[in-house]
Amino acid sequence: MLSQTGSLSARALGGALLLAVAWSCDPAPRTPHAVPWGLDDFGDTIWPPAHATRIVSLNPTTTEILFALGAGARLVGRTEYDNWPDSARFVKNLGPGIRPNVEAVLSEKPDLVLLYGSGDNRSAARRFRQAGIVTVAFKVDRIEQFDRVTRLLGRIIGDSARGAFVADTVRRTLDSARALTRGLPRPTVVMPAWDSPLLVIGGGSFLNQLVEIAGGRNVYDSTSAPSPAVAFEDIVRRDPDFILTSPESAQRLKQRARWRALRAMRSGAILLIDTNVVVRPAVRLGEGAMSLVRLLHPEVKR
Amino acid sequence: MIAFDNVRVMYPRQSRAALDGVSLAVPRGSVTAVVGPNGSGKSTLVRALLGRVTPTEGSITIEGVDVRTLARVAVARRIAVVTQREEPAFPITVREYVALGRLPNRGAWGRDTQADRAAVHEALRQAEVDDYADRTVDALSGGEWQRARFARALAQGGEAFVADEPTTFLDVAHAMAVFELLGRVAQEGRAVLLVSHDLNLVARFADHMTLLHEGRVAASGTVADVMRADVLERVYEWPLVVTRDPAVGSPALVPLRGARGAP
Amino acid sequence: MRTSRWLMLLAALIAVAAAAVVFGTIHLGLLASWRGLLGQGDATAVFVVRELRLPRIVLAALLGAGLGISGAALQGVLRNPLAEPYLLGVSGGAAVGAVLAVSVGLAIALVPLAAFAGAIAAVLIALFVAHATRSRGDPRVLVMAGVVVGAFANAAIMVLMANSDASTVRNAVWWMMGSAANATWSQVAWLALYVLAGGALLVAMARTVDALALGEDSAAGLGVDVERASRRVYLTASLVAAATVAAAGLVGFVGLVVPHIARRIGARGHRVLLLASALVGAVLVIAADLVARVALPPAELPLGAVTAVIGVPFFLVTLRRML
Repeated sequence: MLSQTGSLSARALGGALLLAVAWSCDPAPRTPHAVPWGLDDFGDTIWPPAHATRIVSLNPTTTEILFALGAGARLVGRTEYDNWPDSARFVKNLGPGIRPNVEAVLSEKPDLVLLYGSGDNRSAARRFRQAGIVTVAFKVDRIEQFDRVTRLLGRIIGDSARGAFVADTVRRTLDSARALTRGLPRPTVVMPAWDSPLLVIGGGSFLNQLVEIAGGRNVYDSTSAPSPAVAFEDIVRRDPDFILTSPESAQRLKQRARWRALRAMRSGAILLIDTNVVVRPAVRLGEGAMSLVRLLHPEVKR
Repeated sequence: MIAFDNVRVMYPRQSRAALDGVSLAVPRGSVTAVVGPNGSGKSTLVRALLGRVTPTEGSITIEGVDVRTLARVAVARRIAVVTQREEPAFPITVREYVALGRLPNRGAWGRDTQADRAAVHEALRQAEVDDYADRTVDALSGGEWQRARFARALAQGGEAFVADEPTTFLDVAHAMAVFELLGRVAQEGRAVLLVSHDLNLVARFADHMTLLHEGRVAASGTVADVMRADVLERVYEWPLVVTRDPAVGSPALVPLRGARGAP
Repeated sequence: MRTSRWLMLLAALIAVAAAAVVFGTIHLGLLASWRGLLGQGDATAVFVVRELRLPRIVLAALLGAGLGISGAALQGVLRNPLAEPYLLGVSGGAAVGAVLAVSVGLAIALVPLAAFAGAIAAVLIALFVAHATRSRGDPRVLVMAGVVVGAFANAAIMVLMANSDASTVRNAVWWMMGSAANATWSQVAWLALYVLAGGALLVAMARTVDALALGEDSAAGLGVDVERASRRVYLTASLVAAATVAAAGLVGFVGLVVPHIARRIGARGHRVLLLASALVGAVLVIAADLVARVALPPAELPLGAVTAVIGVPFFLVTLRRML
């Protein structure tokens, strides 16, 4: 039995290894004599596009940023979730941003495609590159990533100054938020994101950073994931001063009896985030920080 | 042609051997019958010949060559077996089913030759199944299916023919037809090994008989040697008499009304 | 099987493949598709036809053929009309391999390799478990071993997913739903190697499968080395199935339903049945992939879901005719 299975297994293994090698080749389009602009979040080289006049943005964050950079008119495609600003509605909805419909994107004949940098988009990225389109994948979970992406996008659309301007404006607002709350005692918060499984905002998320800038402290800032799953008793043990969450989520929490185990719930210390503003790390980060300052430190005069 | 020599077979986790020191010869040109009560080891004998169980002692030889040294295909070319039960999982026609009997001669990769087709044709005729050769096997009655199985074994050819309980589920006419066929096969010069519980039919057609009891040979020899009331009563543990059937002249077993047998 | 039936199958294959070239999210007429195939005309159309749709169609055909042949062979050798290519632990093992790879952050290109390795490992474990029971190749024991391995694999997947973050879970679930969307020509080449080699081996063993389908004792009486031959069929069929899973995730129902459809149109005897199953499978999966692409634009349905939706009514009709 062993020799029979051995020869079959050897054949299988050899074939599979060659499979893996074949799959990792990556063709890249390039303009002649072009100098690459570093790596994107898939580790692929960013080749500057000859022009970026037909942009497909499959990521709500980059859509927002492009509008802020005044390049909204160049957008020919977005995902179904890109809902801000309002004028984004007029851009054609091409479907999902995760595992996008390659044909739908190609039918708009873009010269630049922006993808969300999650692993399941790698093959789509490879396809677009194969078709000769400049493709860049960004993962924007944290504030410094937003800063980098904004400047890079400004450069890509040929308006580095505007990119720097937007990034700097956001940075300045964040700095003033930080200044307003400097030296004040930091209330602790927990930010429940989902009920089953029980997810909270952790140290890897931009929300964590905003809370820290706004003079508060996330009880889960020591974790590295953006939204880790935790046991409920762990939240009770950390005993936060406030529960910081969206209005819909707050409604759901109030209906579940176990949340009354938290001191914050019993004393009604629930702060409601304006989810229209604080939903992703994009151009409204500054506004978001300020809204959190108002919640966490109502005593501060601006 | 086939010889069992002191064969011992133990099934796992059984206290008693299924076959214990069984010796038996199956010569060419005659019908050799193995009889005995349920559980006496009759079917184990056939399974040992097929290689489905391995004897712990003793040997099974074909013309003096131990079957363990032969490839299964080589054994199948020489011995055709009709097993006790067979139920194809998927429907095929009788003709295709009988053609499968040519497998050991043709090989898994071979093409159908003229000889193969002739053998199938002849087998269908001999077993009298050519009338429904194109029906699928799930549309046959018990008797028709049994004859089709015989046809397959006939198509297989070879020098020996083994049948394990071939007349279960058959009415008297079909059972007689099967025994007559076995007789003819023996007359053509093949060695026929027949396992059966139908003592009276066996007594009419067999040339040699062996009676098994709890894995051992209780009696062996001609029909007259085995069909004796004292021997049969002891083995079957039931009161009976052996008469001589006036119509055909062979011994016939007649069971009496049951009181509990001797302890 | 009658010649007319073979021609009918071939015609169906050509028709469904042509439809799959012409239809899609981007609307290409017959002429534009034809020109795209030849490499003429609009560059986007050429790319879409040659690099997106065509490899998908060939991949789908190979998937269907591989699963069809594998399912037919396993049904024959296990004497079980409900046997299917994933029976011996292929799906469970592949899923564990893939989920494990995704959750430890392995490069996406290596996930199919991990799935393949997982599938093979699971089959070998199932065979070993059956062997250890000394049941001498009893197919029921093997099926039980496969079920046990599959159950264990499911438990392992649940544990892995419970401890993973949202994107890993989503990735794993998507993979398990099956898709031909990432078809590239190099992938097609490797799948072709496995399916054609494995399929040829199975067709060569077709007569042996015929004998095994009669029962072990009967097959032994016909000179078949029951244990060795069965094992060869299990391993080859599972290898082909594992290759399809590595290429496209779990595509259920095809291997189960296709052999029955082939029987319905008159294929008897495993040599004919295996080849017919390959053709029917190819037609079915190309059609399913087409539906997956155009049913709910602009999203794409998972292939495994479509094959189940198409497969179930087919199966019920076949069942009714059978009983």
